Amino acid sequence: MKYVVRVGDADIDVIIDGDVTIVDGVSRPASIAEVEGTPVRMVTIGDEVHRVVARRGTSRGRYSLWVDGFRHEVEALDERTRFIRELSGASSGPVGPAPLVAPMPGMIVRVAVEPGDVVVPGQGLVVMEAMKMENELRATSAGTVTAVLVQPGTAVEKGAVLLELE
Amino acid sequence: MFDKVLVANRGEIALRVIRACREMGVRTVAVYSEADAHAPHVREADEAILIGPAPSRESYLKGDAIIAAALRTGAQAIHPGYGFLSEREWFARAVRDAGLVFIGPPAEAIAAVGSKTAARSLAISAGTPVVPGTTSALRDADEAADVAAQFGYPVLLKAAAGGGGKGMRIVHRREELADALAAAKREAKSSFGDDAVYVEKYIVGPRHVEIQLLGDTHGTMLHLGERECSVQRRHQKMIEEAPSVAVTPELRARMGAAAVAAARAAGYVNAGTCEFLLDAGGDFYFLEMNTRIQVEHPVTELVTGVDLVQWQLRIAAGEALPFHQEDLDPSGWAMECRITSEDPANNFLPSTGRVQYLHVPSGPGIRWDGGIETGSEISLFYDPMLAKLIVWAPTRAAAIARMHRALLELTIEGVDTSRDFHLRVMEDAEFRSGDISIQWLERRLASLLSVQPPREAVLRAAIAAALLAERERSGPQRARRGAESSAVTSTTSPWLQAARLDAIQ
Repeated sequence: MKYVVRVGDADIDVIIDGDVTIVDGVSRPASIAEVEGTPVRMVTIGDEVHRVVARRGTSRGRYSLWVDGFRHEVEALDERTRFIRELSGASSGPVGPAPLVAPMPGMIVRVAVEPGDVVVPGQGLVVMEAMKMENELRATSAGTVTAVLVQPGTAVEKGAVLLELE
Repeated sequence: MFDKVLVANRGEIALRVIRACREMGVRTVAVYSEADAHAPHVREADEAILIGPAPSRESYLKGDAIIAAALRTGAQAIHPGYGFLSEREWFARAVRDAGLVFIGPPAEAIAAVGSKTAARSLAISAGTPVVPGTTSALRDADEAADVAAQFGYPVLLKAAAGGGGKGMRIVHRREELADALAAAKREAKSSFGDDAVYVEKYIVGPRHVEIQLLGDTHGTMLHLGERECSVQRRHQKMIEEAPSVAVTPELRARMGAAAVAAARAAGYVNAGTCEFLLDAGGDFYFLEMNTRIQVEHPVTELVTGVDLVQWQLRIAAGEALPFHQEDLDPSGWAMECRITSEDPANNFLPSTGRVQYLHVPSGPGIRWDGGIETGSEISLFYDPMLAKLIVWAPTRAAAIARMHRALLELTIEGVDTSRDFHLRVMEDAEFRSGDISIQWLERRLASLLSVQPPREAVLRAAIAAALLAERERSGPQRARRGAESSAVTSTTSPWLQAARLDAIQ
């Protein structure tokens, strides 16, 4: 089976053929084993053994992996799934900026924008207080504020939508 | 020595105190909130008393309930740990008035240095150098501007009752002053219940170097050398070490003497810390005095061999310090990383959840002072610090190498932690050279967190991901086949296999 694995910004083809894995034209035996009752996996590539911690992501094929002291956000899709996703266009999700959501429970201290404001990436939008610290939530992409759903003093749960952007 | 001590704290510091007591044959009483019913400190203590609901205000900050618990259980003394009630003069006084011993300085000494403005006046009277600024709370932005004009921008706004970076703001221009003052007052009010804020000159490029003190009730006051705590994010210490690359034996003696003088002027007894800014020219300025055991006390313990928490108890019980100043020269190098439930990949946002798995590093020179274990629930009720990873080695370079390998061993799953951030710092050339100041992290954080893994690591991650996906794709089918043929699979218990073999034979 051929997988296209997205690691950060890079797409890497990984072919798994039984116990052999082919990457960059190099063919090596590779296997993965769980350390029972733990999120730790032993990944054996050739003679090397690596300790990998895997956390399942939000959709099939997505994982957060900790390898060699680095965190990698990865998505491994077999060719067929990837092809179907590309045809349907559903995988890429809604185009344009996502609404601003609360990354943690807390209290809204300040809202720095109003409906109609044009925002740029990195611009501070909302200040939230959690753990007695003020945390500034910033725009991750450019857009226009279409709705402000909170005001100073509002207590919000994790995941609550604070601003609508388009 | 006391027979029984109540520990008025939670998490790693409660465990630290309980361990010290147990080694000295002192029985312990833990107090806990409803959220901490199954916490390690509750289990490790000899007795435990529920003092209220999860919010600190209704539990760990309820001095009367804690004193009542001590009286009820027959504890003779209360150790406050750090944070919570540890630096509240009224609490130290109330403990004493209840006929108990407060394991810390006398209430009068806390009052003398408790607010930063009071500490500053005291330091000036003791001849300890200070940073220029106001000694009384600011009325408004206009007053702040007048004071700032005397020594120029940038200036620092600070909560008088503050600590840990809450209620602090650096202001670069007059125009920013009003907003910054409002924010500092808001944070000060919500964190400390007191919105008094003052202003001082912002010393550019200094290191944060602090002196550990230990004084007994017989008139001895000694310093245990310095800790460097320059690696800070938003004024929160992240990494501490002892000694400091910037402190020579001659400077250590001078800073130590200045700290001892300030502590004596305050009538100080027990463990305490004088914080200084140390600039590139070797000039130092007194910042404040912390009248408690500090988070980073283990690095001093590792280079001096003195158990600070045990000495806190001995001093409170009236014992005299047997050391002399010359016995306390640091040996080797110690370093501490604060492992917090904050996600460095996401602007250090607090992370919550259940610790599903914890693997703690071990081997030579490693110390883990932790308050979590598998199953611990990490909430927003308390401080995000989960544990401290501390190492000792003969040299700074060896300590960094040891810390790096320990961080690689450390595995915490279920919540995001600061581990990866610490790895990047240990790998950084500037940090390794010791060329740091309190602005170092602010300047370098983005570049540290955007360090790209080497290509081999990316390929390994890709292979691991493909193997995981392959397993998930083929996993359910294999399981079905297994069920149909009832074949003995590798996941069957070996006991079951042995029993089946027996049956066949």
